[in-house]
Amino acid sequence: MKARRLILWLLLSAATQVSAGANETLDGYKRLGAGPFNPETGRQLWISVNTPQQDAAERSCADCHGTNLSLPGNHLRTGKVIEPMSPTTTPERLTDNRKIEKWFKRNCKWTFGRECTPQEKGDLILFMQKQDG
Amino acid sequence: MSTPLTEQKIKVWDLPVRLFHWLLASCFLIAYVTEDDFITLHTYAGYTIIGLVVFRLIWGFAGSQHARFNDFTHPPKTVMVYLKQVIRFRADRFVGHNPAGGAMVFALLISLSLAILSGLVAYGAEQSSGPLAGLMATAPLAIGKAAEEVHEFFADFTLVLVLLHLVGVAIASIQHRENLVRAMITGRKQAPHSSIHQRQRK
Repeated sequence: MKARRLILWLLLSAATQVSAGANETLDGYKRLGAGPFNPETGRQLWISVNTPQQDAAERSCADCHGTNLSLPGNHLRTGKVIEPMSPTTTPERLTDNRKIEKWFKRNCKWTFGRECTPQEKGDLILFMQKQDG
Repeated sequence: MSTPLTEQKIKVWDLPVRLFHWLLASCFLIAYVTEDDFITLHTYAGYTIIGLVVFRLIWGFAGSQHARFNDFTHPPKTVMVYLKQVIRFRADRFVGHNPAGGAMVFALLISLSLAILSGLVAYGAEQSSGPLAGLMATAPLAIGKAAEEVHEFFADFTLVLVLLHLVGVAIASIQHRENLVRAMITGRKQAPHSSIHQRQRK
């Protein structure tokens, strides 16, 4: 019984993770009043250097993910390889709405010291999509 | 309401069991709410839960009568039969954990342990932090991400178990006309006597 219930839960949690990905995410931002989105604005944000906290080291998206998104990045803290951010090179990028939001939240806080606005996130998604290797 | 008989209270939950229970509930709530928004507080809550779970495993053998695992370990069939009795409002009263409550203790301990383990792997592999940082130093980030998914699943699964636990406590409190929440605070419950305790009925 317990095993069957566990399997049911695993299936349920897997089912909720299937979503239409970036386009749906962008539509969500538009409903919040953001847009139109511009990949060049996203690129400027990507390479912008920030000081998330006082006395903290300067940080940018490019520190870990690089500026050529078809190439792998390097995690600043662990030194581990980060799969390329370009959806062309790494097909599972920008396919899962839940993961998109999770990593925007986590990494915007780390890099900028705050969450990104829907406008910023839309610009960044377009920038990542435009980096077709 | 208060005949001399109903005043017959006996000690059921020892102090360590009660402290364990409320500390675990608090730490789980803190860990669940903070997620990685307050990762330091989240990890302290998690480390405390490790200590609490380890303590409970020891206390399951060393504790007082109703704290010990052999007091509430029943075969799955007994648990199912008991649940059916609960549905028909004909469940026996147990002074310690009833069979369903006993099964819930094990389910919670297992689910929490898997949440802890996957959390430590995720923290070590993704952030090079925590006690498994060294072990996970060369593990790819994908391992950490996968562990994080497992971690989130078992955190949610534990929350579901907690909600079922609360439902069970409410049902048992109503069916046996006793305040089980207060019993987990004071440790005391009404002594079993014939008017309530009808185990020989079926």
